[in-house]
Amino acid sequence: MKVLVVDDFSTMRRIVKNLLRDLGFTNIQEADDGSTALPMLQGGDFDFVVTDWNMPGMQGIDLLKAIRADPSLSHIPVLLITAEAKKEQIVMAAQAGVNGYIVKPFTAGTLKTKLDKIFERLG
Amino acid sequence: MSITTIGQITLEQAKALVECLESGEQEAADAIVNDIQNPTNSELFAEIGKLTRQLHDSLTNFQVDSRLSNLATGDIPDAKERLNYVIERTEEAANKTMDAVEAIFPVVDNISGRVEAVNPAWTKLMNNEIDLAEFKSLCLGIDTLLKNTGKETQLIHSLMTDVLMAQDFQDLTGQVIRKVIDLVREVEDSLINMLTAFGISSDGVLEGLGDDASPREKSKSTLSVGENLVEGPIINTENRDDVVEDQDDVDDLLSSLGF
Repeated sequence: MKVLVVDDFSTMRRIVKNLLRDLGFTNIQEADDGSTALPMLQGGDFDFVVTDWNMPGMQGIDLLKAIRADPSLSHIPVLLITAEAKKEQIVMAAQAGVNGYIVKPFTAGTLKTKLDKIFERLG
Repeated sequence: MSITTIGQITLEQAKALVECLESGEQEAADAIVNDIQNPTNSELFAEIGKLTRQLHDSLTNFQVDSRLSNLATGDIPDAKERLNYVIERTEEAANKTMDAVEAIFPVVDNISGRVEAVNPAWTKLMNNEIDLAEFKSLCLGIDTLLKNTGKETQLIHSLMTDVLMAQDFQDLTGQVIRKVIDLVREVEDSLINMLTAFGISSDGVLEGLGDDASPREKSKSTLSVGENLVEGPIINTENRDDVVEDQDDVDDLLSSLGF
């Protein structure tokens, strides 16, 4: 399974990458914001996207909307991992078609639970 | 305002004044002189009045500049709170990391100790010098080593994950510090405006900031990026009802939406 991790902070990308590797995901690539991520997604056969919300350039929510609007990408599950904690934003992400929402700071256990849930739903 | 530059006296006034003086009417003559001087006085007073009003307005505007007073009473205390949050998060991360590392050391020492313990008998075995009693004891030693080491490497792995997770402060504190930097920039702009209002050349004031111009422009444009306002980590979740406090709140909210 090919995963794209999108976050403007390299430390957070490294954390997420390590946690995903621990959970058995070995094919992981990185992007530092939505505008870098989108062409990578369009060019490669990614199966899963983990993204931050607040990034310079294209933000995570706009990346999510762009993925859902592109017929060749719209099937890809997207997990938001973000410090954004306004109820309004969580509702907005849900309406935009997010598959999971994790607020920072988070634990390895939370990530595992959310991933299990996402892939269980997708069958 | 010099009397010679404007028509301060009419021919009629001059003639009347001469008449009065010739006929010895000193009081009437003085009255005419006063009349002649009055217009000058009122113009002078009007000018002084205008300057006074300008000074008054400047002082009033300075006092009631709401942005400046908001900065002082709201944003700067808020920035202090944000910076305290940075201290707390970094301290917490350092402690979490050290807790995990300190817990790993004895585990590694235990494994190393057990390896040392079986090593002499193992060397004998490899050199075909071992007797039956030593061999039995070696087997027990290796059995313990294998069983415990398996458990302990799992413990080490989990502690290493804690060390890894403790590094997440860098992302959160980075975002908070960026907000404070924006505030500092705003205070700087307000101070420049104030100096400009007090008549100090804004060119002179801004000259020293010339090199800064491009990063300033850049960060201003990143602030307005995207149509969705982002706030970054919420520091005072307990005082707000428009935010979630933790992952459980997020999960509850999403499940209430049928997620």
